[in-house]
Amino acid sequence: MGYFADGFSQAADLLLHMDDATMSAIEATLVSTSWALAIAALLGLPLGFVLGYTNFPGKRALRLISDTLLAFPTVLIGLLVYVLITARGPLGSFGLLFTLPGMVIGQTILALPIIVSWTAQAVENLDARCRQTLLTLGASRTQTALLTLCEIRYDLGMVCVQAFGRVVTEVGVAMMLGGNIRYSTRTMTTAISLETSKGEFAQGIALGLVLLLIAFVVNALLTWLKRKGGK
Amino acid sequence: MMDRIFEARNLSRSYGGVCALWLPEFQVERGECVALTGRNGSGKSTLLRLLAFLEQPDAGTLHYYGSTTDPRRDITLLLQDPYLLKCSVFKNVTLGLRLRGETDHLEERYRAAMQDAGFEDPMALADRTQAMLSGGERQRVALASRLALSPRVLLLDEPTAHVDAASEEIIYASVRACLNRGVTILCATHDRTLFDFLDAREVVLRPRS
Repeated sequence: MGYFADGFSQAADLLLHMDDATMSAIEATLVSTSWALAIAALLGLPLGFVLGYTNFPGKRALRLISDTLLAFPTVLIGLLVYVLITARGPLGSFGLLFTLPGMVIGQTILALPIIVSWTAQAVENLDARCRQTLLTLGASRTQTALLTLCEIRYDLGMVCVQAFGRVVTEVGVAMMLGGNIRYSTRTMTTAISLETSKGEFAQGIALGLVLLLIAFVVNALLTWLKRKGGK
Repeated sequence: MMDRIFEARNLSRSYGGVCALWLPEFQVERGECVALTGRNGSGKSTLLRLLAFLEQPDAGTLHYYGSTTDPRRDITLLLQDPYLLKCSVFKNVTLGLRLRGETDHLEERYRAAMQDAGFEDPMALADRTQAMLSGGERQRVALASRLALSPRVLLLDEPTAHVDAASEEIIYASVRACLNRGVTILCATHDRTLFDFLDAREVVLRPRS
């Protein structure tokens, strides 16, 4: 157990002294995840709302596809995007492979179905009396839709927080599209994976602790949103 | 001749092939109070939703002889188990006014509506959310949100079904006061005390055999 205790001790040292490689992995993780979440939310929240709020032919099929994509393996997303952005791929000329923007593309694809499906679910779960109440108070269709959106605001916050939690902890996309390049595309999860395979536990433990801290913050935020949303 | 406000003929509404309402003939005069009675499933709530223009009938005709081109500005419906939005009591009560763009003197109108719904100190509740209200208070806040709109027609779906005796009496008094102001009232109810108190004309709905 000595090496385990040593690992923790060295991890504390790395964090306290803000080791460059450790900080770089934390920064790469937070930057790529934040961009991916922002893009996925921008696209996914309106799509999910429309999917949950309106009725149209093919809605069930779209919902099924979106729900199926929730289980999209990250390595498969990595593979598909890799094929697109590799030098010989259709987007190869943009030079995205092994860069943070390349990782962001993959992570956006990972977050998008989560945001679309769970936003649609939040709209569908809203009490049917809400829409009737708004109409009886004289709301127009547009006002009703906007107020419905407002009524599920805490649920939408929860959707984004959960998507963030999923993306920040994934390995497959970051490894395949980022290439795990030190001081560039190495994220917390890919660094943990690499350092562990080398038998170097200190940095892995340090990054693991930061991931745990992020998980704690994410869950605290979820609990707060649930309370605010009256769940 | 009386001043007619609603007139319906051969009105029917079905859900999933099941007939929820069938009403051969139905008229309501302006300022009248009508109690809709009948067994569960006889179509009372359905009729109220049709009269509120929240739904369209499958067959038959329904005419509203109101003053505006949009009947939903004149008519409001208090649901059987009302829903309050996840915001303060003040925002809930003034929501309809804000939706209509009537944002002047909101506080005064809030106070008046809440007092009409039997709250002695409306400002004490202004910042509370629905989770901080009792069942009776929620019902009366929902009633206040309708009264704030100064409706010409007030539709009530079992307004005393989920409240205690004290709230029941307050609701009776509020509805009576509306009637005295000339508001047309249609109330679906099993509560005979309510329609005796309102001296309402009873319309018994029956499921189509």
